[in-house]
Amino acid sequence: MIKNYFKIAFRNLWRHRVFSLINILGLTVGMTACFLIFLYVRFELSYDKFHSKGDRIYRIVCDIKTPTETMHPGGPSWAVGPHLMGGFPQVEAAVRTTDDELLVRKGNVKFQEKNSLWADSSFFQVFDFKLIKGNPKTALNEPLSIVFSESAVKKYFGDKDPIGQTVLLTGDGFTAKITGVMKDIPENSMIKADMIVSMNTLTRKLNPGLDDQWGNYGNRTYVLLRPGANAAAFEKQIPAFLEKMNGTEMKQLNMYPTLILEKFKDAYLRSDRNDSNSGSIKNVYIFSIIAVFILLIACFNFINLTTARSAERAKEVGIRKVVGAGKQQLTRQFIGESVLICMIAFILTIAVAALLLPSFNQLAGKTLSRGVFDNMNFIGILFLASIGIGVLAGIYPALVLSSFKPVTVLKGRFTTGTKGILLRKGLVISQFTISITLIIATIIVYLQMNFMRNQDLGFNKDQMMVINSNGDPARDAFMHAVSSLPNVKSVSMSSSVPGGGNMGAYSKIQNVKGDMQIANLDLYFVDFDYLKQFDIKMAAGRSFSRDFMTDTTHAMILNEAAVKMFGYRSPMDAVGRDFNQWGREGKIIGVMKDFHFKSLQEVIKPLSMRIEPNGCSLISIKVSGNNLPGTISSIENKWNTLIPARPFSYFFLDEYFDKQYKSEQRFGKLFLNFAILAIIISCLGLLGLASYSTMQRTREIGIRKVLGASVGNIVNLLSKDFLRLVGIAVIIASPIAYFSMHKWLLDFAYRIPISWWIFVTAAVTATLIAIITVSFQAIKAAVSNPVKSLRTE
Amino acid sequence: MIKIHDLEKIYRTEEVETIALNKLSFQVNEGEFVAVMGPSGCGKSTLLNILGLLDDPDSGSFLFNGIEVAGFNERKRADLRKRNIGFVFQSFNLIDELTVFENVELPLIYLGVKSDERKKRVEEMLDKMQIMHRRNHYPQQLSGGQQQRVAVARAVVNKPKLILADEPTGNLDSSNGNEVMELLTDLNEQGTTIIMVTHSEHDARYSHRIIRMLDGQTVTENILV
Repeated sequence: MIKNYFKIAFRNLWRHRVFSLINILGLTVGMTACFLIFLYVRFELSYDKFHSKGDRIYRIVCDIKTPTETMHPGGPSWAVGPHLMGGFPQVEAAVRTTDDELLVRKGNVKFQEKNSLWADSSFFQVFDFKLIKGNPKTALNEPLSIVFSESAVKKYFGDKDPIGQTVLLTGDGFTAKITGVMKDIPENSMIKADMIVSMNTLTRKLNPGLDDQWGNYGNRTYVLLRPGANAAAFEKQIPAFLEKMNGTEMKQLNMYPTLILEKFKDAYLRSDRNDSNSGSIKNVYIFSIIAVFILLIACFNFINLTTARSAERAKEVGIRKVVGAGKQQLTRQFIGESVLICMIAFILTIAVAALLLPSFNQLAGKTLSRGVFDNMNFIGILFLASIGIGVLAGIYPALVLSSFKPVTVLKGRFTTGTKGILLRKGLVISQFTISITLIIATIIVYLQMNFMRNQDLGFNKDQMMVINSNGDPARDAFMHAVSSLPNVKSVSMSSSVPGGGNMGAYSKIQNVKGDMQIANLDLYFVDFDYLKQFDIKMAAGRSFSRDFMTDTTHAMILNEAAVKMFGYRSPMDAVGRDFNQWGREGKIIGVMKDFHFKSLQEVIKPLSMRIEPNGCSLISIKVSGNNLPGTISSIENKWNTLIPARPFSYFFLDEYFDKQYKSEQRFGKLFLNFAILAIIISCLGLLGLASYSTMQRTREIGIRKVLGASVGNIVNLLSKDFLRLVGIAVIIASPIAYFSMHKWLLDFAYRIPISWWIFVTAAVTATLIAIITVSFQAIKAAVSNPVKSLRTE
Repeated sequence: MIKIHDLEKIYRTEEVETIALNKLSFQVNEGEFVAVMGPSGCGKSTLLNILGLLDDPDSGSFLFNGIEVAGFNERKRADLRKRNIGFVFQSFNLIDELTVFENVELPLIYLGVKSDERKKRVEEMLDKMQIMHRRNHYPQQLSGGQQQRVAVARAVVNKPKLILADEPTGNLDSSNGNEVMELLTDLNEQGTTIIMVTHSEHDARYSHRIIRMLDGQTVTENILV
C-alpha cells in the first residue's frame, strides 16, 4: 500500500513538474532561510552559557546620580570588587577585568594586541575558560604573570612550550612571565581575550592603591555568589555597604553610585549597558519572527497549490473510492505525499544551507557554525519539523480531496468550491502582507542607514588618518616629521576622535545662576589645531590659540549642549564663566557648535575640551587624496624610524565612525536578504496559482477569443483578480509596517521621518512584481490558439 | 440478490426539484444479466449509483443479499462495496499515473490481499483478458478497447458477486464493443450477476432481461431468454 502511495506520489510529482518545482523550491527556500536564521538565533542565545557556574555569576553595573544627571560608567569603582569579597559572606569570588590594547614583544615578534585583558586571580575560578597548561588557581596570582591563548602561543612561540618564558609588555615597559596557556575563548563569549595579565600587576606594581579607589569608576566587575545565595537580597544590602565604605566622599563630590546585579549569562542579549559588540534580544525576536513568517509563506504556497490542483486529483480520488478506498486511507495517502515533498525539500535544504553557510557567516560577521553537520541535533529537529510541516500543510488539502463524492467527480460535474477559493485568496493576501511589510521595513532600514552615513555630523571626517601613538615619547617628533610630508595637509593630536570612546570628567561649571554646578562632562584633551583640523565651528567666543599663554592650563571650550545644560540661553552668555575640572581651574573661552562625537543613535551630550598634551595619544593626519598609498607608506617610514618599538597601524576616521553602525548595517543586510527571499517565495506561489487559474480557464479564454477578445483583454481579465489581492495586502501591511518601524526608529536619536512615498514605493514594487508574475502566465494563455484550447474539453 | 422497493431519490436545488427515482421497485436474482435502458435523464445512472452503494436513496428499501443497506453510513457502504461490487464505466476511469498491472491490483490492495497473492491473481486476470503483454504500460498508451478490458479486469479481480456496468461500450467502436460484451457474458456465465445501463439495443440483447425506465419509474420489463 505504502509502495503504491510512493509510486503514485513520485509519478504525480514528475507529471506536474512545474508545480512540483514551485512547491519544492518554495519550501526549500523557506526552510533554508529558517535554518540559517535559527543558527543565528541559537548562536546569539548561546552567549556565555558555557560557564558551569553561570547561574551564580553576576555582572555588576553602576549608575551614578549627580544633581544634574544619571551617569552610566562602564562599571563600578576599582575598590568595589576586592571589598565585596571581604564584606559579604554570600560572595564566593569577585573578578575585575579591564580591556586593553597591549604592545607585546618576544624577540623580533611584536604585536599590538587588541584583545588583551587585565584580570584578578579568581578569573579562572569564576569563568570556565580552560587552562591547558598551568594551574588555574594560581596562574594569575603573582604580579607580572600572563596567560596566553593557544593562538597567541602559536604567534609568539610556535610549537615551543611557553610556560616560564617571558614577554615584554607596553613598549618594553615591563616583563611578564607566562604562567598558563588557555584554550582560545569561544566566539560566543562576551569576554574576549588573547592574553590575560594578572590584575595585581596594575594594582600593586604600576598603580598601587587602586584597590582602594572608590571614586575611580569604569572597570568590569563580576561576582560569583555562593550556591543558594539570594541575589536580590544581596543587591539590597549594597547601598548600606557603599555608604559605610565611602559615604563621606560621596557626599563631598555629590555623586551617589548605585550598583546593579545583572545575570551574567543574560547580559549579552538583555543588558542595556552594552556596546556595539553585544547582541540584542530585539534582533533575535525580529529574526525569529521573520523566520516563522518565511516558513508560513512557504507553507501557504504549498497549501494553496495543492488545494488549487485538487480538481485534477478528483478523478483519481473517485476511482480509488469506487474500488474500495476509505476516506482515512485517502487522507493518509495525500498527507504522505505532502510529507514526501517536504522530505525532498528537507534534503535540498541541507544541501543549500551547506552551500550558503560560509557567506551567511560572513554576513552575520561571526562563525555561527562551521558546517551544517556540526548541528546534527539541529538537523534532527529540522527533519522532524519538515515532517510536521508536511502533515500540517497536507492535512487541509488531504481532507478536501478525500471527501470528494465519487459520483460527482467521476461524472465530471466537479467544481472547486467557493470555500477553497476564499481560503486561497486569504493565503495570497497574507503572503503579500508579509512581503510588503518586509519591503517597507527594508526601505526604512536602508533610508535610516543612509541618513546616518550622510548626515552632516558637524565635523569633517574625510581623508583623516588616525594613528594611536599609545603615548610614545617620540610622538611629537613623529608629528613634526609627518607634517612636512608633501601630501599631508595638517596634523593634530587629541585624547579622542569622534566615534571612539572618550573620558568623562567630574566637573564644576558656573551655571546661569552663578553657582558652581556639578556635572559629569564628556571630555576631549586636544591641541591648538584640533578644532581647525576637524572643521568644528565656533558658536561664540574664541577657539584655543597659541597667542594666549593661559590656554594650555586655564581655558575650556564647551559645546552648545553643555551650555544649555548649565542654563544659558545663548552660547555667548557662557563665555567667561568659571570651570573647575580634575584639578584645573579657569574660564570658558568659547562655545563650539554641537557635533556628533557619538553615533546618531545618541543625542549629542554636553562636551568639554581642554588643552592637555600629556593626555593626547591619538594623532590625526589630514591627507590629500592624491597618491594615498604613497602618502601612507611615507608616513609609515617616519613611524618606523622614530617609533620602531611599536607596530604601525592606522585607521581612517570615516570608516571608523561608520563602524558604530556595523550592527545596524548587518541587521539591514540580513533584513534585505530575508525580505527578498520572502518576496521570491510569495511570487512562486502567485506564479503557481496564476498558471493554475489560467489553466482552469483555458476554455473560457478560448470562447472569449472566438468572440473577439484581444490579448490585452485576456491579460487584464486574468491579472485583475490577483492585483486586487495585492491591493488588499498593501492596505493591511501599511499600518503594521508603520507602527513596527516607528518603534524601531525610536532607538535612534536622529532619525528619518516615515513618509508616504515609502508606502507607495512598496505598493508599486509589490504590484509590479505581481503583474510580471501573473502576466507571464496570462499572456501565454492569451496568445494561444483558441481552437486548441476549446478542444481540450 | 437485489431487491428494491419504493426507492426514491430527489435532487433539489434552490428553485428546481428533480425526481430522479420515483418509487422504483424491482428485483434482480443471483446470476442474472440485466440491462437497464431509457432516455437521458430517466434516472438510470442514479439507480446504478445507488445499487453500487455510491449514493444514498432518500426513501425506500434496498436489500442487498437480504441485508437492508439503505441506511448504511459511508464506511459500511465502502466496506460492502469493495467486497461485493465491481464497476465498469463508459469512460474507463483508469488512474493515469498507474500502469495496467497497478490499476488492476488496486482493489486487492484495498482489500488487504498479500503481495504474492495479488501478483498471482492480477496476472491470472490479465491473461484472461489477453492484455498480459501490456502489463507495464500506462492507460494513455492503450487503445480504447484495451483500456476497457483493463477496467473490466479491475472490476472482477476481487471476484465480486455483482458487476455494475455504466454504458461499457459507449466510448468504443463496434468490434471493441462486441469484445467487451462477450467478456461480460462470459463472466455472467461463470456466475457473476451483472446490471448494465445502456443506450444500445444491440448491447441490451446480450442480457437476460431489459428494464426500461422513464421519469424515474420502470415502464416495461422484457424477458429475453
